[in-house]
Amino acid sequence: MSDNFNEEKEKIINFTENIPKFLFGKGIFGGFLIIILILYLATGIFIVAPDEQGVVKRFGKFSRLESPGLNYHFPYPIETVITPAVTQVKRIEIGFRTVGSGSSTRYQEVSNEALMLTGDENIVSADAIVQYKIKDPVSYLFNIILPEQTVKSAAEAALRQVVGERKIDEALTVGKYEIQEETMKLLQSLLDSYEAGILIVAVQLQDVNPPKEVQAAFKDVASAKEDKSRYINQAQGYKNDIIPKARGEAVKMTKEAEAYKIERIKKSEGEIARFNKILEEYKNGEYVTKARIYLETMEEILPNMNKVIVDLDSNQSLVNLLPLGDIPLLNASSKEVTK
Amino acid sequence: MKKGTITIIIIVLILIVANLSLFIVDETRQAIVLQLGKPIKAIQQPGLNWKLPFIQNVVYFEDRLLVYDAAPTEIITKDKKTLIVDNYARWKITNPLRFLQTVRDLNGAQARLDDIIYSELRVDLGLFNMTEIVSEIREEIMERVTKISNEKSATYGIEIVDVRIKRVDLPPENEKFIFDRMKAERERIAKQYRAEGQEESAKIIAETEKEKTIILAEAYKTAETTRGEGDAEAVKIYAQSFNKDPEFYKFLRTLDAYKITFKDKTTALLSADSEFLKYLSNPSVSE
Repeated sequence: MSDNFNEEKEKIINFTENIPKFLFGKGIFGGFLIIILILYLATGIFIVAPDEQGVVKRFGKFSRLESPGLNYHFPYPIETVITPAVTQVKRIEIGFRTVGSGSSTRYQEVSNEALMLTGDENIVSADAIVQYKIKDPVSYLFNIILPEQTVKSAAEAALRQVVGERKIDEALTVGKYEIQEETMKLLQSLLDSYEAGILIVAVQLQDVNPPKEVQAAFKDVASAKEDKSRYINQAQGYKNDIIPKARGEAVKMTKEAEAYKIERIKKSEGEIARFNKILEEYKNGEYVTKARIYLETMEEILPNMNKVIVDLDSNQSLVNLLPLGDIPLLNASSKEVTK
Repeated sequence: MKKGTITIIIIVLILIVANLSLFIVDETRQAIVLQLGKPIKAIQQPGLNWKLPFIQNVVYFEDRLLVYDAAPTEIITKDKKTLIVDNYARWKITNPLRFLQTVRDLNGAQARLDDIIYSELRVDLGLFNMTEIVSEIREEIMERVTKISNEKSATYGIEIVDVRIKRVDLPPENEKFIFDRMKAERERIAKQYRAEGQEESAKIIAETEKEKTIILAEAYKTAETTRGEGDAEAVKIYAQSFNKDPEFYKFLRTLDAYKITFKDKTTALLSADSEFLKYLSNPSVSE
């Protein structure tokens, strides 16, 4: 077995050594040709980078895929290789363009791409980013031309179709996530129908806004909403101010009334107590007490008064008195006028 | 002659012959072999092929999906609105022989596709209203246009895979109209919000006033009731006590009233006969 193998090996070596001799003869010329042949064969060596995949064609027909690393294909024109970057995620901007890079990155609106009709015949401005990568390098390379343009056109069509199915308020608010998802699904199915070998990684809606021309009006709606709640809050504030005050007022009123009630009762009780005391004394000597109280009272009130003492014998006496005039009468403090 | 020279000559000859008679059809292409200008066979599979040198030559065609991107065109919808439609199509050459005979090359194909797709789209979009085109049956329209276009294009060896409306826009003058309408609509909504706010505010304020009035009225009621109770109680207390000797009460109370009534410089006409003064003129008088 081993002998046999060695023999074979020997034969092959002899044979290969003899080919050049047979073909080109000996000498410098032959050696030169051998080097050219080796160099030619060496052109088949190729490296597939980690993010790439090697697609080898033999006579133009797809032959095999090669993984990253050092690889070999038969030299041109027998085999050729293409190494697309299959893990690289590419990015397409719809409705805007990134201008500049790094710290000077700016975004420029592309309004004819961004503006689209909604289902209720309104117009919104939508910016989106589409990310894609190669799903199947064979389809990607051999089935479509201009992959970027293909993805872009399809993405625009899909986005507009999805937005077109919605009403403006939906597109501007809650529908954003749905629009993303649906656009992504539709876009993927379009590309699959083209057998493009492309995988959509993400569709991100950056901004969905009303167009510039009507933005002020939309903003005013937002501030009107604010106004609404402000009006309500102010009214609520007024209520919160007024009602407790009124309640306070009410308590004041009732308390005052209660105080009055108690005052009245206490007063009357006091007066009664006094009356009862006096009554008790009065019962002990009715006439004397009565006279004393009367006289005490007179003593108290009369000193401050103007007094005119009239001896009323007859009726005309009073009439006679009247022409005496009012001035001396009123001004005299303690005059006694007698008939 | 040396052996090596002969070998080289042979190799060169082989290469020349190979170059003239062998040709490669790439994955991305298809080919037609022409013999003195007359097509004799189509090659749609990639690989190595051969032809007769000199009298046969090969023309290649794209085998990948091609792009037809028309310029945006105005179409009129069923409801007489003008729309600017930007559409594209994906197509491929399925029968290179027929393709070569009818349209020759990509430029020729482009012109035919213009005719087919544009007219088909125009007809189909004219059947529907604007909203239908924009939203409801967009997909359906595109599918139908694709199908009919594809039937028509078959005679040119072309398969139309997909006709798709990329953009449907309004002409600038209509766009302005839409913007105006959108503005008016938003203004209406804004007004409504504000009015609702004011309505709500007025409601709350009115409710507040009502509540305030009720609270105060209730309090007044309670207060007056309480006061009344106080008064009643007092009256009861007075009555109970004073009833013990109404005459004496009257006497006392009258004197109290005098104290309050006759203050300051009140002038009193006092009869000399009065109880108080009777001793003044007649000291001897006694009871």
